[in-house]
Amino acid sequence: MSKNPCAIIGIGQTQHKSRRWDVSLGGLVREAASRALEDARLTWADVDAVVLGKAPDLFEGVMKPELYLTDALGAAGKPMFRVHTAGSVGGTTGIVAAHLVETGIHRTVLAVAYQKQSEGNAQFALGSGKGASLGAGGAFAPYMRSYIHRTGAPLDVGPMVAVKDRQNALKNPYAHLKLADISLEKVKASQMMWDPIRYLESCPSSDGACAVVLTDEAGGLAAAADGRPPAWVLASAVRSEPSSFPGRDAVWSAGAADCAADVYRQAGITRPREQIDCAELYVPFSWYEPMWLEAHHIVGHGEGWKLTERGDTALGGAFPVNMSGGVLSTNPIGASGLLRFAEAALQVRGMAGEHQVDGARVALAQAYGASAQYFSMWLVGSSPDPFA
Amino acid sequence: MTTYVESTVRFPYKRSLGPVIGQFMTGLTEARLLGIRADDRVIVPPVEWDPETGEQLAHEFVEVGPAGTVRSWCWVEKPTTQHPLDRPFAFALIELDGASTGFLHAVDAGRREAMTTGMRVVPRWRTERRGHITDVEAFVPGDQPLPVERAEPAGEPVTMMTYDAEVHYLTPVTENETRVGQAAAEGRFLGLRCPRCARLYVGGKNDCPICAVALTPQDEVDLPQRGTITNYVIITPVQYPGQTETEPFARVHVLLDGVDVVLMFQPVVDLANDDVRPGVRVSAVWTPPDGTGRRALAGWRPTGEPDVDDPALVNRIH
Amino acid sequence: MAATEPVAIIGWSVSPMERRTDKTEAQLLLDVITDATAHAGISRADVDFTCAGSCDYVAGQAFSFVQNINAIGAWPPKRDSHVEMDGAWALYEAWVRLQLGDLDVALATGSGRSSTADPATIYPMEMDPYYLAPLGADAVSMAALQARVLLDAGLVTERQMATIAARTRRDAVANPHAQVSGEFDVDALLAGEYVRDPLRRHDLPPITDGACAVVLARGEKARELTDRPVWITGFAHVAEAHQPGVRDLRVSTSAARAAKAAGVAEGGPIDVAELQSAFTHEEPVLTAALGLGPEVAINPSGGPLAANPIMATGLVRIAEAARQIRDAGKRRALAHATSGPCLQQNLVCVLEEGR
Repeated sequence: MSKNPCAIIGIGQTQHKSRRWDVSLGGLVREAASRALEDARLTWADVDAVVLGKAPDLFEGVMKPELYLTDALGAAGKPMFRVHTAGSVGGTTGIVAAHLVETGIHRTVLAVAYQKQSEGNAQFALGSGKGASLGAGGAFAPYMRSYIHRTGAPLDVGPMVAVKDRQNALKNPYAHLKLADISLEKVKASQMMWDPIRYLESCPSSDGACAVVLTDEAGGLAAAADGRPPAWVLASAVRSEPSSFPGRDAVWSAGAADCAADVYRQAGITRPREQIDCAELYVPFSWYEPMWLEAHHIVGHGEGWKLTERGDTALGGAFPVNMSGGVLSTNPIGASGLLRFAEAALQVRGMAGEHQVDGARVALAQAYGASAQYFSMWLVGSSPDPFA
Repeated sequence: MTTYVESTVRFPYKRSLGPVIGQFMTGLTEARLLGIRADDRVIVPPVEWDPETGEQLAHEFVEVGPAGTVRSWCWVEKPTTQHPLDRPFAFALIELDGASTGFLHAVDAGRREAMTTGMRVVPRWRTERRGHITDVEAFVPGDQPLPVERAEPAGEPVTMMTYDAEVHYLTPVTENETRVGQAAAEGRFLGLRCPRCARLYVGGKNDCPICAVALTPQDEVDLPQRGTITNYVIITPVQYPGQTETEPFARVHVLLDGVDVVLMFQPVVDLANDDVRPGVRVSAVWTPPDGTGRRALAGWRPTGEPDVDDPALVNRIH
Repeated sequence: MAATEPVAIIGWSVSPMERRTDKTEAQLLLDVITDATAHAGISRADVDFTCAGSCDYVAGQAFSFVQNINAIGAWPPKRDSHVEMDGAWALYEAWVRLQLGDLDVALATGSGRSSTADPATIYPMEMDPYYLAPLGADAVSMAALQARVLLDAGLVTERQMATIAARTRRDAVANPHAQVSGEFDVDALLAGEYVRDPLRRHDLPPITDGACAVVLARGEKARELTDRPVWITGFAHVAEAHQPGVRDLRVSTSAARAAKAAGVAEGGPIDVAELQSAFTHEEPVLTAALGLGPEVAINPSGGPLAANPIMATGLVRIAEAARQIRDAGKRRALAHATSGPCLQQNLVCVLEEGR
């Protein structure tokens, strides 16, 4: 059996904030899912299956929340599936949903991912409540220092990413952080949290959810005929590798390279930097923008920071990255991956509003998790065969 | 003999209720039980979406009860600390008068023999009500509402609740972890060498993740106690329940001399945060023996030797 | 269900089932993956895709599955996934992944150390976080409420429940993985005290630590690796509303729907079924919903009443059903898994002998 085409015809997300105290957990996922269905011009009855993704249950203190959220997501009488692959989970959620369509098992699938960080405390949850936690910034700081050292990247590159993503967020009505007066000086003057990472080079804690409606070729073509362009899933891949072993290179990791190579191969991409129009990469700390550009071989090792420094990754640049404002502006952890995947789809649908990349036809999305060891990526296009 | 380590995962979660659950909880503060209308049914406690179709329900609230009929019950002879009562009680699905669904709560019936399906029960309200499901302390047998000090209509609607989750865990300490711990108590570092690929692991690792083979005491090797700092992080602690650190603190990665082993996120001794850098030569510092003669690693102290001048050291994180 | 690529179970392993093992989840998984791949006649390197099922709250650790990846041998890096669900759903994801047609071999695992904490303090956390969890609504109480509904409706009797307990534990004698087995006298069981009236000790599953691994292969690859593939000919899962109080607890509509989607009633009679009926009264609810008549052998392994390793119990059902086909000469088997209060979510997997 070969893969059936899979189209993204609906995208929804919540207003992301540090505390969405106006909604219940169900209300949060429902807000995103309702918007996605509305965008797809579908009703709850049209959904054949739901895939739910989120990071650890300790964040909200609700175990296996797919049980409770069955009602909020209209999944009674339907398959309800729960994915958890650490920070990459939002991406994996989209991929598992796409597989259900590509195999022909279901016609229309709703993928939803969320985190309501305000219910608990992220650092508590990351440490499982057992004393001092390094936090994600502490765990990743040595990787970033190693990257800076091995590429000789100027120290301003990190702060430049922080400014660029926050400026993009100003154009995204759903983004959490809206730092209108952001500047290189402000970022550099902010507190050093986990050297080399400053406060303003770090992601916020957000409450938020994202939902994507995926459907088969007929559904995609029908949406297109109705003047609502779909995004087509051109390729997707996941990779995992062990957290730690002697000599593990967690900066340019094998898992990151393999995952990207798999996606490029499926889509027939040989020159990613030229053939892909823009990318949404999981960048919770500023330095991860150039790091992922290199680890995923979008450009060569040592070349990523040059893209950033030249302004190529800015919204109007040659290879825009994180047009939405990225994880640096919005971070409901479990949803962050699906937000990347959804933004890539929005771009090739031409529906990204003020943060639209002109003429985007092919977009890449990526998410990663745990000790930079879980990867999920997908490539979406404005047509099922954009390189024909 | 296997030993186990005890831990408690506890956190006071703070939940926002949204419009429907919030309305119900506000009703509780006024000693009123509310349901929500869904077509010809009244769902209690109220939910935001039709449980069958997923459709949004209009916010049409209906006061139900206070009396109701037990549709099912079970007898909890030995309550846990999470249960609403600390003496034997029944959990019951109660169809409150005017409701179409079963409301789960406790029935304080005294003894099992007092429980029957179809019996009538009424709520016993707490005097101090805060908008929480336990504002009803329990239901009790009877048909007539108990006298209740009915609060004035709530001035402020209830929008939040807390949920204090607490689970005690008992997890095994594996043989390798135990032996590494015993060695540390004697001031020694034990490593484990994979019998297949010869990679060296620390921390009592139970398996080689590359080869997926178990590591056993036969694979143990003594590790040196001197090394070089390769990379580090200075952590500015964020405060949360259970956090034990208050000031910025350093954690360093140490490449041991003569072996391919990096110890990650190690504490330092006599090394100021500003002086932490790759290349610093360090040696292990052990605490003095405690009452039982056991030592523990206090951290890594500079040896005073000149720094190692190898720019690639910083890449050794694992 | 859409016409699907043939995928077969070609190997499996079930760990020893113990009240408290001194092994970690990763160690349990290391052993069952080694055994299951050996059973399939392959090595870890031959596995193209892995999917694990486990639960942080059971392990008492956020991201607990990350340590378990050591058992896979994810080097070079693997196509890998994880579900915070029973391993039966991990197998479902692996089965879906093979349908895409580009990979040949997949591995699914389920693992849980139920002994890490008192299940009565863990399980309320999967309940409605506003109305039910704060009451400490535990799994045994929820099951007992459903049992009472069935008893009151005359759909089951306490004697039938005790008879199911005695039968499954007698069958479990032949299962080397069983934790509770032996001959039990029904009258003696009925003379026992209630643990949670109307449930007695024998109506409840044991607390079990354990793990399971199952190897899948696609079409030609399955035939190449074994001359006795056990084909998956139907696979579906369905959820229903969460609150027990809004459901009709006399029936399991989601199990019935899953059976229909998996094509249970088509393709000939079911000879044997392995059901995740962790409480005695769930067996008649499920057999009715799944359309299994008295001629169908139920839980010849002893089922969850003999060993109940949370997060692996469902996957063990699938492995045991496969064993019935490969080793006990059965032709068509049904395996079932469940999650949530009062059978909220149900999965059905239909297995058939090689052809």
